[in-house]
Amino acid sequence: MSDTSHGTGGLSYDKTKRQWPNELNVFGALILIIVIFEILGAIFMGQSLLFDSKDRFDSIFNEQRLRIIIIQVAIVGIIALGVTQVIITAGIDLSSGSVLGATAMIAMSFAQISIVNGDPNPKAIFGPAFLDLPVIVPILVGLGCGIIAGIVNGMLVAYSRIPPFIATLGMMLFARGIAQWWSSGKPVSFPTESYAMIGRGMMPVIIFLSLAVLFHLIMNYTVYGKHTYAIGSNEAAARMSGINVPRHLVLVYAIAGMLAGLSAVILTSKNLTAQSGMGLSYELDAIAMAVIGGVSLFGGRGSIIGTVIGAVIIGVITSGFTFLRLGAYYQEMVLGGIIVGAVALDQWQQKRVASKA
Amino acid sequence: MKKFILAAGLTALLSTTAMAQQIGVSVARFDDNGLTVMRNGMTDHAATLPGVELQMEDATDDVAKQLDQINNFIASGVDAIIVNAVDTNATEAMSQAAASAGVPLVYVNRQPVNMDTLPEGQAFVASNEIESGTLAAFRMCQDLRAQGKSGGARAYMLMGQLSNQAAVQRSKDFEDVIGMDMCNFITLIDKQTAEWSRDKAQDLMTNWISSGEPFDAVFGNNDEMAIGAIQAMKAAGISMDDVVVGGVDATADALVSMKAGDMDVTVFQDLAGQGAGSINTALKLAKGETVDKQVFIPFKLVTPETLDAFMQ
Repeated sequence: MSDTSHGTGGLSYDKTKRQWPNELNVFGALILIIVIFEILGAIFMGQSLLFDSKDRFDSIFNEQRLRIIIIQVAIVGIIALGVTQVIITAGIDLSSGSVLGATAMIAMSFAQISIVNGDPNPKAIFGPAFLDLPVIVPILVGLGCGIIAGIVNGMLVAYSRIPPFIATLGMMLFARGIAQWWSSGKPVSFPTESYAMIGRGMMPVIIFLSLAVLFHLIMNYTVYGKHTYAIGSNEAAARMSGINVPRHLVLVYAIAGMLAGLSAVILTSKNLTAQSGMGLSYELDAIAMAVIGGVSLFGGRGSIIGTVIGAVIIGVITSGFTFLRLGAYYQEMVLGGIIVGAVALDQWQQKRVASKA
Repeated sequence: MKKFILAAGLTALLSTTAMAQQIGVSVARFDDNGLTVMRNGMTDHAATLPGVELQMEDATDDVAKQLDQINNFIASGVDAIIVNAVDTNATEAMSQAAASAGVPLVYVNRQPVNMDTLPEGQAFVASNEIESGTLAAFRMCQDLRAQGKSGGARAYMLMGQLSNQAAVQRSKDFEDVIGMDMCNFITLIDKQTAEWSRDKAQDLMTNWISSGEPFDAVFGNNDEMAIGAIQAMKAAGISMDDVVVGGVDATADALVSMKAGDMDVTVFQDLAGQGAGSINTALKLAKGETVDKQVFIPFKLVTPETLDAFMQ
């Protein structure tokens, strides 16, 4: 495979038509946003967003803020890695937030500890036989729940030909129902110490970035990746060139489901609780990360690197708003504007490149 | 003779029925945790009152079904009706139905939209939402004073969804308290929404910590957000002895956190008390006594000293 092929479904692109990879544009946007926050910070707060302006750290950076920028997007970012692959096949996954909610409740029920501060666990879901289980049990349960939900999504999309939007909308409602039914809305809390390790400190970031590297390699250097781009670029052509499209779609949705399940495990571990409302609208946050990162909702175009940068952009904006103490009411308005603006800019860029050809 | 015994028996039966107080209760939904506590509060309280019988119905979150239940109560001649409204905007029809039949009606827990125009013989029993935030904030103010910080203390506030009445009210209560002479040594550094969520609160608190501003207190509109803030502070190595953290709800997780010495203040909404209070109010109305249109069941402050009473 040649190094010029990524992002366009295995076809090499004409260098005269595109000057640099799309990811560079996204990265440029990230730098621009950081610069804007630095300028506003210098004017209004007398502080720096990313740099250590108060001499609190050994390095020149505000390490705490660098960490939280990534931590706060890592869990949704893991979902976004799967959603990116789904969108590249020209599909969509609206169920990931709800699948996370359902998986959180179910997996956490297998991670509970028997004694809390010397008292029996007030939130125990099952009998004593299910308390203090080894950490591998809730992890496997979590991944399993996600994979099952993903396979159902994939089968609906691939074999019954229900549009992905509808199929995963159905799963979104169904899984949220499961999440609420599981313990009739009661939270599930107090996990074992080993379970609590999974999401502690920088662990979500390490897992997110490792998976990002893994899926970047998979998408660019394996048959799986080539087929995913091929299906999204032109499904009919992909089918005629011998790709088993339905089977591949099931695999893609199953991976997306598994990543949602994994996020549930990390999120419940980070928070030491599972709640039926967890993951609400995470699917939209994940889609936003992918879209900001240059993944096209029409399929066939986009990359894992783009999505990771998209996630970091959301992280910088979130921290930047808090840093500027922007009123809570305005944050969502500005964020909405930024998402639409990013895609509009990307579209304009695409058109310009295309018209140059 | 047989006839006489039968007649006597019937009379006795009728008279006991007449003596007993029948109260019809329609609860929005049986599978809601909070409402279940309230419902059990009603049943337990009724069991201690001789001659009071409850007929409890589940409205399964269906507005039309709830109105049918109320009309059925009226048709079967209950002495009073208690309604925990499915939709507080749909209470006008219920009030009219009960008023025209002359049956006393008590709304519980959820405030009816026609609160200001409630007919004679109707009342609303609940906790006064203003109390919850105020109780927590005032106690936090006292704690800060006790720590010798009355020269100046700085606080962050985590708010619930901005569209939510309780979030707006509790935030306002906190700001009102720190505007009082006794507590105006507290300055609010920043307030942001974490949407009632522990996870969002954890991230928001870490963002605040990363700005390096010193602070002495964190108030969460609910316990979940307060716990999220505690987890963030602990992860950043801040000693929980130096920061006063308050929340609202007295959830099981919050009580455990308080027992561990992390959470300092929370507030308990006495739902069982609301249930019992609604029955007392209904009985008074059935006897023709006048009651206040709004009957308030007080919130209860939970602190490390009073904690044990709230842990089961």
